[in-house]
Amino acid sequence: MTYVVTENCIKCKFTDCVDVCPVDCFYEGPNFLVIHPEECIDCDACKPVCPANAIYRDTDLPANMRHFLELNEELSRLWPSITDSKEPLPDAAAWDGVQGKFSHLDR
Amino acid sequence: MNSIEKYQPSPREQAFLGKVVNGKYDRQIITGIAKFATGDVSQDMQGFYSQEELDRILELKGTPRDLEARMPIKITRHYYEQAQYSRPMQTLVKASPKETYDLDGAEDPGKQMTYSPREGLIHKYELGLLYVASTCSAHCRFCYREELIGRKEITREDGTVAPKGLAQLGEIVEYIGEHNRAVAANGGRHPETGREKLREILMSGGDPMVLGNKNIAAWLAGLAEAGVENIRIGTKELAFHPQRFDQTFFDMLDAFHEAYPEVSLRMMVHFNHPDEFLRKTPDGGYLDNHGGGLQWIPETRVAVKELARREWITIHNQSPIIRDINDDAEALRIMQREMLRNGINNHYFFCGRDIVGHKAFNVPIERAWQILNESQKGLSGVEAHARLSITHYKGKTEVAAVTNEPVPGVPGGDKGVVIFKLLRSAADARDRCKVTIVGRNPEAIWFSGYDDRVIFDEAGLYSMYGINPAFLQAAE
Repeated sequence: MTYVVTENCIKCKFTDCVDVCPVDCFYEGPNFLVIHPEECIDCDACKPVCPANAIYRDTDLPANMRHFLELNEELSRLWPSITDSKEPLPDAAAWDGVQGKFSHLDR
Repeated sequence: MNSIEKYQPSPREQAFLGKVVNGKYDRQIITGIAKFATGDVSQDMQGFYSQEELDRILELKGTPRDLEARMPIKITRHYYEQAQYSRPMQTLVKASPKETYDLDGAEDPGKQMTYSPREGLIHKYELGLLYVASTCSAHCRFCYREELIGRKEITREDGTVAPKGLAQLGEIVEYIGEHNRAVAANGGRHPETGREKLREILMSGGDPMVLGNKNIAAWLAGLAEAGVENIRIGTKELAFHPQRFDQTFFDMLDAFHEAYPEVSLRMMVHFNHPDEFLRKTPDGGYLDNHGGGLQWIPETRVAVKELARREWITIHNQSPIIRDINDDAEALRIMQREMLRNGINNHYFFCGRDIVGHKAFNVPIERAWQILNESQKGLSGVEAHARLSITHYKGKTEVAAVTNEPVPGVPGGDKGVVIFKLLRSAADARDRCKVTIVGRNPEAIWFSGYDDRVIFDEAGLYSMYGINPAFLQAAE
């Protein structure tokens, strides 16, 4: 029952999703956002507005992104809530679409 | 939130909003048939759809009859737990191939979009309707807001396409403020449209109760500041997840009332069947209370009691009469009794609209009237306030009576007549309580089923489409 933020958010963090979330279920780390799986109400509002196309419905997660489901759950319990959008990270445009960003995830 | 960011709250609003805390809710929503098909649901939910049901639904995937393209499949844990023992609740929430057997119907049957001056606002009567959320905690299969929930576009009467998006607080407050100022400056009527003050706003969607307390509070305060006197919240959350009505929610309401004591709140709740709020024994019966009435599901009862004990809040139930869910006089009788006993007024029962796929859900108009009438036999006067309503393009219309005495000379008249009463026209109040009488057609599920048998049309329900009374048609 949730949407999941995946790899292409890392080092971009555009935060457009935060503005459209009706239940404020996004949580913010240094260079990545996650969705709290129990708070998400599956409204589908965030997925189309993500400039990095980083959000998937859990049932549509590509096989190589499956591990983000657990990661979102884990980090959403640790990180603070974010309810207002902010400027993307400085090099967001350059990092958008770069492969293999997982190793850059800061916790 | 996007809907709030462009809007600058006043100091009074800010003081109120500063007190509001968001609660946390564990709805345990299951979305999508794939979860059931792959067994990605809790052990006890595995059999909620049989293998045969799953096969038939999955077969339609990607075809024009795709059930999830029409309306996403969605259920909460709470609703599932009650629905396990309730056939009507299962019909309400479980997708069925019959929904798309016949795709006849209209995209926007009430022509609601014609009355939309701002995105997400429908301005009818002295009432405005806002779309503030585009989902609910679970989805009724018969939902007539499928464009909004399923995120489809709407073609307006004039041919333009509208996304049927959500209302934005700043834009709405500005519109209401402008309208009400123009009305006040012109002696109580809008100089161009002749409409009255926008006194009442219905927050709808979707279900506003899926939003967090802060978001709901921002709407309440913004509307109050714009001069709205009565705010309605249309919600089915009492059935889907009554735990949403928690202390943080009531604290928010109390803080709102303290800040805006003259604004009343009308909770427009949506119970379709007593199984949604009554406790049941394993053999399907209800349980008596010692002192009278029936035993409620405890969480639902607490939520209703908390709403009902606040004197500035009234609660009103309205429900369509839907085939295989509540086309059952005994169920409706129990529901009407229990509603009023617990502080919920019985408002409207509705005939289903002619939405796409409506033939799977709609009960013929005359039968719906008979079921409601039967259910009200044996109810006391105060319990039997609900009327049967059908939404015509012109406005909310009551199915006032269905007679059994023959009226010779009119098609269908050998069985009797149906009397429609226009409760109010959407544009203004002038046509209130005008009547239209038609010969009976027991099969009719929409006004069009009577096109050839209009007897009397004071309300103009047919003449507005160029349809004349039958005796004039015969003379033509």
